[in-house]
Amino acid sequence: MSEIPQLTGGICKKLLTAPTDDPDVFESEHTVQFLSVKQVSGGPSTDPSKPSGPERFRIIMSDGVNFMQAMLATQLNSMVFEEKLPKNAIAVVEKITCNIVQGRRLIILLALRVIAQPTEKIGSPTQLEADTAGTIATPTADQTATPSNSFTPQAPQEGTSVQRPQRPGPSNSGRGNIYPIEGLSPYQNNWTIKARVTQKSEVKTWSNPRGEGKLFNVTLMDDSGEIRATAFNATVDDFYAKLEEGKVYYISKARVNLAKKKFSNLNNDYELGLERATQIEECLETTNVPTIKYNFMALDRLQELVKDSVCDVIGIVKDVHDLTQVNSAKMNKQIPKRDMTLVDKSGFSVRMTLWGKQAEQYNEADANPVIAFKGVKVGDYQGGRTLSMVSSSTMQINPDIDECFALRGWYDSSGVDQTFQAHSSTSGGGSTIAFNRSELRGLDEVKQGEYGMPGKPEVFSARGTVMHIKSDNISYPACPNDGCSKKVEELGDKNWRCEKCNQSFEAPRHRYIMSMAVADYSGQAWLQGFNDVGEAIFGKPANDLVTIKNENNNEFMAIMERSCGQTFNFSCRAKQDTWKDNNRIRYGISRITPLNYKEEAAALRDLLFTQWAN
Amino acid sequence: MSDDQDRQLSPRVNSAQLANYLGKNVRLACKVLNIDVTQIVVEASDGGQVNVQIQSHSEIDDTYIEVVGKVQTPDTIRALACIGMGSDLDMKLVNDTIILTHDPRFKTMFS
Repeated sequence: MSEIPQLTGGICKKLLTAPTDDPDVFESEHTVQFLSVKQVSGGPSTDPSKPSGPERFRIIMSDGVNFMQAMLATQLNSMVFEEKLPKNAIAVVEKITCNIVQGRRLIILLALRVIAQPTEKIGSPTQLEADTAGTIATPTADQTATPSNSFTPQAPQEGTSVQRPQRPGPSNSGRGNIYPIEGLSPYQNNWTIKARVTQKSEVKTWSNPRGEGKLFNVTLMDDSGEIRATAFNATVDDFYAKLEEGKVYYISKARVNLAKKKFSNLNNDYELGLERATQIEECLETTNVPTIKYNFMALDRLQELVKDSVCDVIGIVKDVHDLTQVNSAKMNKQIPKRDMTLVDKSGFSVRMTLWGKQAEQYNEADANPVIAFKGVKVGDYQGGRTLSMVSSSTMQINPDIDECFALRGWYDSSGVDQTFQAHSSTSGGGSTIAFNRSELRGLDEVKQGEYGMPGKPEVFSARGTVMHIKSDNISYPACPNDGCSKKVEELGDKNWRCEKCNQSFEAPRHRYIMSMAVADYSGQAWLQGFNDVGEAIFGKPANDLVTIKNENNNEFMAIMERSCGQTFNFSCRAKQDTWKDNNRIRYGISRITPLNYKEEAAALRDLLFTQWAN
Repeated sequence: MSDDQDRQLSPRVNSAQLANYLGKNVRLACKVLNIDVTQIVVEASDGGQVNVQIQSHSEIDDTYIEVVGKVQTPDTIRALACIGMGSDLDMKLVNDTIILTHDPRFKTMFS
């Protein structure tokens, strides 16, 4: 080997300090010596938590004055395999790029040519680091580690991609080890996690015999899993404002406790307690941020889930009902609630319920958005399946994931006209009950089949004719407040009191409560109905009928008679009742629909054309 | 079937079936196409046109009617009575019903 080429002294310092768009530094040629070339990751992976990928080589690059670390762009990997970069090789670096990772510069060599391969190191260069906060030990290529629905693109193989330090080697001050959430346990305490807040609860207060307190919790998520973190009392003040939903944070020095499964439905044995000593730092880098992972369940398979289980779903909003208020017995106040119907490609629909602020704030300009839900609870209201948001659920409207686009395409082309099968009938309160014509039962069949007994069906549809209505008690005085149907007590003339609303009124608003004999071809049964049933049968509000009853008994009796002989479709619910040692089955009417003869005849006609009629 | 019973029966038919009931009384549910003094032209549930000879047209003011009458020829009926059926009648449903009532499977129900 002839004379040793001159190295470009001082270039290391410039690479680490000059502005990154300085062409003299980053686009000119510099001569450097490679003191070492070492593979730091990639190739077949033995560590299950590290994804395998292309090999990455770290070069200790010297300019004679200083040495520093640089990464070899993967497109140049072949030079290593062909042994063109032995220890102490001198090369002219033609193109360099600089990435900022975790606040530090990472120099990547994009193009170079080797000009000499001496055996000796030139000079006595001293180490120069990107910053004082430790070394970047093991950058790995950006693989899409999230298994589902992540939209982070596959790592471009060129060195222009951001190389993310997934797991720095020896522990240093500053970052420390970035642990996967799945790896957390009470036995380790020197860890840092980098996670996104996927859900933050409101500050909840409680007061019980032992004292009072407040808390809030968040769900933290990274590529490996999820964990709940809770802050109590004083720590609430420290962290509540700091942690924001959707942002990513480095968290360390929190206490790892056993999870209280009762309060969380996350799949983690542990949970974090945020203490005074806990450190939370916002992560500003925008790549390698864990994204929400979904495991969507198709709506037709909801039947497979048991009540109270938790799942993720994605669907198109077919319709949205108005905000209603329900009374919470436990908390003695009204809670806003909003129902919506979700549909998906499986051809099924399901009712989703939003509560509280989410219900109030739902105001989508788009009438049929795609919404992805995570962690919603499965209910079995009236035999079917319904979904409900709980405090740890999240929803994303029109998320930027493949499933959303697929649903949008399907809905816009065919789904919009499709009729969907509901998971059996559901209740009143504004949502639709499917009167299930194909599941019509004869009333005798209902009685013989002991509907309403444990183990027997609860819900059924029937078509029958009103034979008789018990006229002695057709209504009760109810509270006039919207949403409250409690019976009011008459304390005096023009003084009716509702205990629940704690209010007095001049006059009650009567609501129907009726017992009627309904018959069909097979038999007769007594059905119980409430206000909606009364209004359908009598065609007038209960207040009016009560007035007629009090003033003109003849007209009242005439109305009673006329009401008989009307035929309706009923959706009913059978329930066992115990009253003074008697065990009786009572059939309640959930929904009453007058007959649409055209529809019914068409259904019968269709039936006759099938095999059934043979 | 005896002649007496024949006269009391009036099965519902469409235009294609008129040929089977020559000289007999039938019912035809139909849509009024054209009203004249002595006859109206109607469209039966299967779409075929029929001439209906009438006494007086003053009572006919519905879009859909049911004519009870005696079949003269495969496309003419002499009306005995006309029943108004309003303005909304699902003719396909009517036709399907007529076809079903004539179906040999259900013969015992309709004779």
